[in-house]
Amino acid sequence: MRIILTLLRKDFANFIRDKAAVSLTFLVPVALIFIFGQVFGLNRKDTGPTGVRLAVVNQSDNPAARKLVEALRAEKSFRVVTSFVNADNSERPLAEDDLRPMIRNRELRFALVIPPDVIATSGFGLHLKILSDPRNEIETQTVNGLLQKAIFSNVPQLLGQSLQLSAQRQLGRAGLEQFNGAMAAAVTKAFGGNLEETKRAMASGDFGLETVAPGAQPGGPAPDSAGFLSRIVQIDNEQVVGKDVKSPEATRVVGGWAMMFLMFALSHSAAAFFEEKKAGLFQRLLSAPVHRAHILWSRFLYGVLLGLVQLTALFFAGRLLYGIDVLGNFGNLVVICTAAAAACTAFGMLLAAISPTAAAANGLATFLVLTMSATGGAWFPVSFMPEFMQRIAKFTLVYWSMEGFAQVLWAQQSLLQILPTVGVLLGIAAGVMAVAVWRFSRGPIFD
Amino acid sequence: MLKLDHLTKRYGSLTALDDVSLNIAPGEFFGLLGPNGAGKSTLMSLVAGLRSPDAGGITLDGRAVSAADPSTRASLGLVPQSIALYEDLSAEQNLRIFGELYGLRGADLRARIDETLEAVQLTDRRRDQVKTFSGGMQRRLNLVAALLHRPKLLLCDEPTVGVDPQSRNAIFDFLEARVREGLTVIYSTHYMEEATRLCSRIGIIDHGRIHALGSLDELLAGLPFSDEISFPATPVTAGLAARLVAHGKVTTGDGTHHFHPAAGFKTSAFYALAESQQLSSRLFVTARPTLEAVFLHLTGRTLRE
Repeated sequence: MRIILTLLRKDFANFIRDKAAVSLTFLVPVALIFIFGQVFGLNRKDTGPTGVRLAVVNQSDNPAARKLVEALRAEKSFRVVTSFVNADNSERPLAEDDLRPMIRNRELRFALVIPPDVIATSGFGLHLKILSDPRNEIETQTVNGLLQKAIFSNVPQLLGQSLQLSAQRQLGRAGLEQFNGAMAAAVTKAFGGNLEETKRAMASGDFGLETVAPGAQPGGPAPDSAGFLSRIVQIDNEQVVGKDVKSPEATRVVGGWAMMFLMFALSHSAAAFFEEKKAGLFQRLLSAPVHRAHILWSRFLYGVLLGLVQLTALFFAGRLLYGIDVLGNFGNLVVICTAAAAACTAFGMLLAAISPTAAAANGLATFLVLTMSATGGAWFPVSFMPEFMQRIAKFTLVYWSMEGFAQVLWAQQSLLQILPTVGVLLGIAAGVMAVAVWRFSRGPIFD
Repeated sequence: MLKLDHLTKRYGSLTALDDVSLNIAPGEFFGLLGPNGAGKSTLMSLVAGLRSPDAGGITLDGRAVSAADPSTRASLGLVPQSIALYEDLSAEQNLRIFGELYGLRGADLRARIDETLEAVQLTDRRRDQVKTFSGGMQRRLNLVAALLHRPKLLLCDEPTVGVDPQSRNAIFDFLEARVREGLTVIYSTHYMEEATRLCSRIGIIDHGRIHALGSLDELLAGLPFSDEISFPATPVTAGLAARLVAHGKVTTGDGTHHFHPAAGFKTSAFYALAESQQLSSRLFVTARPTLEAVFLHLTGRTLRE
């Protein structure tokens, strides 16, 4: 037993001295729990995503349509956008024609159009239109579910109006008034209430149908009557981006996988710096006519090329196994892969520059790879996170790399269209590399 | 050829080199002898241009050596203390890389690689990964990788650490042959046997200072005694050791007394004293002084301390 206790003490002593192991054991899980908690609203009373941008164009002058817009505004999962900001910063109401370019330009992923004929003029039922860029399946399914919940929770009054219109077509105006009067008289006689008020309510389509859908309040669960309502509410879904993608499911997820693998590979290359230092190779290299800059830039280029080859191989594996269309926009894919690899490599070099040991570099790399993947959108949609987390996501190279992959593979965008994303990635690479070089010049790695 | 002028290097509050001046002539096999932490590696790294001194300067063939200017480095080769090789690559690949860093290309590089591998008997293993080599083979390759570009000055920073005697001798033979061809070598070691065998001149360094400089004979001549008499440190010999203090220097280590007689104190007088203590002459070993004795005399401690 004494031997076991001695060895146990040894294990704990080693563990406590290994800062990387300590941080991996405690810091990483806590950070990930925090991020997951933010995404799934674990610290809120209500759960689910927050802040999904949803454009709403209300072309109907029906009061019930306005009520639907207000209901969507009250839904915490959405950030409803109803106005368009002009170049001179003036605003005007959004029009349907604005939506498609905005979706193509990645300003929006989802839009709801409430058309002038929201209440069907021929036949019975409602008519709505949803425009989307379903580049992320989880996000798309969730948003569709939330939209349906909001719509079905608020359509009963519109449905009543549809019934009234339908009846008017059948009975004529006078006949409908007579019918409403008779129905109102029967209702008030049976259940009480004011005859005139009941008659007015029926004429406005308010049959109290919301009571058919218990719990149908904004933010509440989808009503049980959704199945019935979905048969009489016609929703036209228009996929604005990615319609022609050959293998949509695989294309959606391949970017996230690629980034994870790339970052892990490059974190390994950070540790390689320390192996070379330990072996005395930097001494040998620097005793030759070699500058530190030669070593750093050759390592940077190595990382970029390795990353490019790895990403390309991964995408081709995706083509081979799942039919992802890699060749359709191959030139731009190479451009975005190069920019992503440059940003990742710079990050790996920064890790080597700021870490005192290989173990510390590995620990820090694991922590950053996991947290950047989580916040950057490699695991779940960024739009599910609170706004402050969405802002943080934009500082991660994972976010921009995934944006780039989606632009190229999903949206099939041109070089001109992907240039801003490429610029951001190269900017990250340049900025991070500058800090890394500065740290290398002062750190102990070359001593 | 190489001139070190009042070199000082500090790491925080630690002075690793303290006002060191030295001149190395062409073709010299210069030994830097000192214990671990004496400042040998710091001196090597300054000469190799890996670090900058806090004070003083270095010139190689009249040109300043600077960490910021790698132009003088083509004239020197560094054999680091560790096996500074890419162990997943073959011997040939390693040599090609290091040769190219010095501007060697094509047929010239290939010829030099062949010649170098042949010189250290690694031709038949040239395509094997370095990690499959024995320690001695790795050390040999580590050495010749610094010679491929034919430098004028070779800096060997304890190049035989952990090497078996056979490989060590092979390295010594190789280096001696190169020096005969005109190479200048600075060889740092804490093995006095290596310095004794190889070096035409030796600098004894400790706590960042050069305590003595000269050929082996010159260093030994500087000792105030000619012989060293050793005997077991036991209660029986304690009386003799106490009486000898009046006639020279007595140091004790590893269960042995070392007596270095003062000038004029003859060996016969020693034995007369021992006999008066009724000690057998078989207890005593008389030896010529070594570099160890020089180091001990100069620093008051052994090379292993």
